[in-house]
Amino acid sequence: MIEAHGLTKVYGDTTAVDGLDFQVKPGHVTGFLGPNGAGKSTTMRMILGLDLPTAGAVTVNGQRYQGKVWPLREVGALLDARAVHPGRSAYNHLHSLAAANGIARARVDAVLDEVGLTSVAGKRVGGFSLGMSQRLGIAGALLGDPAILMFDEPVNGLDPDGILWIRTLMRALAAEGRTVLVSSHLMSEMALTADHLLIIGRGRLLADTPLGELIARHSAERVDVRAADGPRLAGDLRDAGAEVTVEPDGTLRVTGLGSARIGEVAAAHRHVLHQLRDVTASLEEAYFRLTDESVTYRAPAPESVVGARA
Amino acid sequence: MTAAGLRLRATAGSEWIKFRSVRSVPAVLIATAIVVVVGGVLVAAGFRSGWSTMDAADRAAFDPTFQSLRGVELAQLFVGTLGVLTVTGEYTSGLIRTTFAATPQRAQVLVIKGLILGAVVWVLCTVASFVAFFAGQALLTAPARHASLGDPGVLRAVFGGGVYLLLIGLFGVAIGALLRRTTAGVAGLFVIVLVLPIAVALVPGDLGAQLNEYLPSTAGMEFWTVVPAGDHTLGAWPGLAVFVLYVVAAGVAALVLLRRRDV
Amino acid sequence: MSTISQSRRARAVLASEWIKLRSLRSMRATLAATALFSVALSVLVCGPVGAHWSTFSAARRAQFDPVDSSLNNIQLVAVFFGALGALVVTNEYGNGLIRSTFAATPQRGRVLAAKAVLFGVGALVASTVIVLAAFGAGQAMLAGRAPHAGLGDPGVLGQVLGGALYLTLAGLFGLFLGAVARNTAVSVSAMFGVFLVLPVLVNSLPKDALWQHTVPYLPSNLGVSLWHTHGSLFAAPWLAVVGLVGYVAVLGAAGMVQLRGRDT
Repeated sequence: MIEAHGLTKVYGDTTAVDGLDFQVKPGHVTGFLGPNGAGKSTTMRMILGLDLPTAGAVTVNGQRYQGKVWPLREVGALLDARAVHPGRSAYNHLHSLAAANGIARARVDAVLDEVGLTSVAGKRVGGFSLGMSQRLGIAGALLGDPAILMFDEPVNGLDPDGILWIRTLMRALAAEGRTVLVSSHLMSEMALTADHLLIIGRGRLLADTPLGELIARHSAERVDVRAADGPRLAGDLRDAGAEVTVEPDGTLRVTGLGSARIGEVAAAHRHVLHQLRDVTASLEEAYFRLTDESVTYRAPAPESVVGARA
Repeated sequence: MTAAGLRLRATAGSEWIKFRSVRSVPAVLIATAIVVVVGGVLVAAGFRSGWSTMDAADRAAFDPTFQSLRGVELAQLFVGTLGVLTVTGEYTSGLIRTTFAATPQRAQVLVIKGLILGAVVWVLCTVASFVAFFAGQALLTAPARHASLGDPGVLRAVFGGGVYLLLIGLFGVAIGALLRRTTAGVAGLFVIVLVLPIAVALVPGDLGAQLNEYLPSTAGMEFWTVVPAGDHTLGAWPGLAVFVLYVVAAGVAALVLLRRRDV
Repeated sequence: MSTISQSRRARAVLASEWIKLRSLRSMRATLAATALFSVALSVLVCGPVGAHWSTFSAARRAQFDPVDSSLNNIQLVAVFFGALGALVVTNEYGNGLIRSTFAATPQRGRVLAAKAVLFGVGALVASTVIVLAAFGAGQAMLAGRAPHAGLGDPGVLGQVLGGALYLTLAGLFGLFLGAVARNTAVSVSAMFGVFLVLPVLVNSLPKDALWQHTVPYLPSNLGVSLWHTHGSLFAAPWLAVVGLVGYVAVLGAAGMVQLRGRDT
């Protein structure tokens, strides 16, 4: 288990991480979500004892990382797939890691096989594609058969096969009772992989909940309705207690009433319905609602970018 | 073996695998040895062929041992760069984070890196120095003077070639760990070892010469010299001690900062 | 595509390379430090001479040259210029920027040429300022107490400008060396090797016939010919310019071949 108490990191006059309190528990895939610059990578580095906290503390299995003698047997991490010496072979890279923590040489062959890099084990890492480097990094994390795994953007550079493979791997690791912490930007992947979320924005913890609860609490469940006489139906629905927003194309966005109830109201007032659609909530929606104020680096919406054609 | 001993052995094993698994390292080491020998041979040959043009004072001051080891001056470029890269190479690629995640005992990692590089350089360069010495003396036939291993100070000086290069390598490791960037590390090392002595020697009068003898490379060079270069020389063993002090100071500073800094 | 004229393309490459050059980390800091180093050394060399001139023997007074004393730091400054030149090229290999650069301008030779032109012009300006400053500072320390020189004295302006030219060519030597080696550590240590270690090694050898036909033509010794008050062991200044330009040209050609022949 990873535990953080008041974890803070200040660089000059920027507070990258601001008083984080959280626990990452075994048996789950915990997703670490947040906008760019939110402090996810900084937090992960502090967990691994690479960056020293300005205040607060974070422990792994009750102990500071710097105090561990064989850390790779407890924690396996993938922070940066490109952090390898380009002139070294994949095998020797992993071999040097294994030797550093008294891990048997046989494990090197085993993890290479698990990630599918056995055929290129002897090749220079400098010639690897991003996907291959990513898989090598994952192999390194698995080397010590650790109970805790941390991945920073693991699907970056993987093809659809690879993405499915890593998702399955992470779920399997969690099912074995291990602790899995994944940081990712890919909302769709996160929704399929994680079952618990830590959402961070501007260094602060915004949410620490199971996935389902977050979606339920923050996303807007609504029903989209199209009818022959939209405005009249809108009025009737409002009388029935719903909130109705009318879209430019005439679609009614209704919240507060379920689709069954809407159908009954429409029938009672003799409306002809053209469309009655439940719009289910998504993690993406929940996430954007939650982090809207804390986005540090935001690109302008496409409509506002004046093109040469204007 | 104790727990600490096992931990140390694991670090040593890991760093050794890293050291031997990159092609460029053995290549640079071989080049170093070649430069020590070829440099010394060429200088000795140059003195032999030009002996008749030298005046009496120069002939009297001629140090056959030192001149046959001049290749060491060129070799220090290779060894020093290798030392710096031992550390800065990992910072450049980002591998340093993986290294410290695997071994949070950072001081141990740095010390082991230094020990491995130092040991390999020392053995290789001691052998190369002896080869250069014998080859150089063989070329210094009459009327040029040559030296024998039995002559006072000669054996110490020939060993001194290897020791000097060992210390240059360690100096590079320490400076690399302090500055953490390859350009700054290489430039910094060679400004201290090459530029400073020349700059200080330009300053006229006693002050320049006196300062110069306490500079790390000037002092260190005493250890592979037999005939003192001028009035202001520390002598072989004091010179070595001064050089060692600089290297130790840089090493200690590097170790202290290593623990405090983020990676 | 070929509707864009040659000159417009050339200007585009020059513009982008200029932006990169200007923003190269520590370029300004290194140049400032180099200037400080050069001036300080000139002062440290000329100061004691000015202060103790009256105690100098006749022989020592005869040997003294005010211009040389204020300019002999150039031999050390040349290494800094070379290292900076190398960095202009090798920096991009180090951080992978070279791929974007060559993607934007597939005519790789043009990129190298643009870098060389911009760096060369910048180095010429910077070196002129630095050499003038060192010269001036040194003469100021000597004025009124010992023989000193002025820019109007015969040959002095030539020595000063010659020194600046040497520094510029040393910088370009480094730049093309960087293009050949494509590695910062190798290029920087090679600059120290060629411009500092090699001359120290061979200059002290006995000056027999072989020596006299080879050693004065080492790049660093050709450089000495350009700023030193003339002595018999040095090549004639015009020959020195030809020789240095020759070294730079050979390295430049090798750099071009290297750039085109390899993947990045």
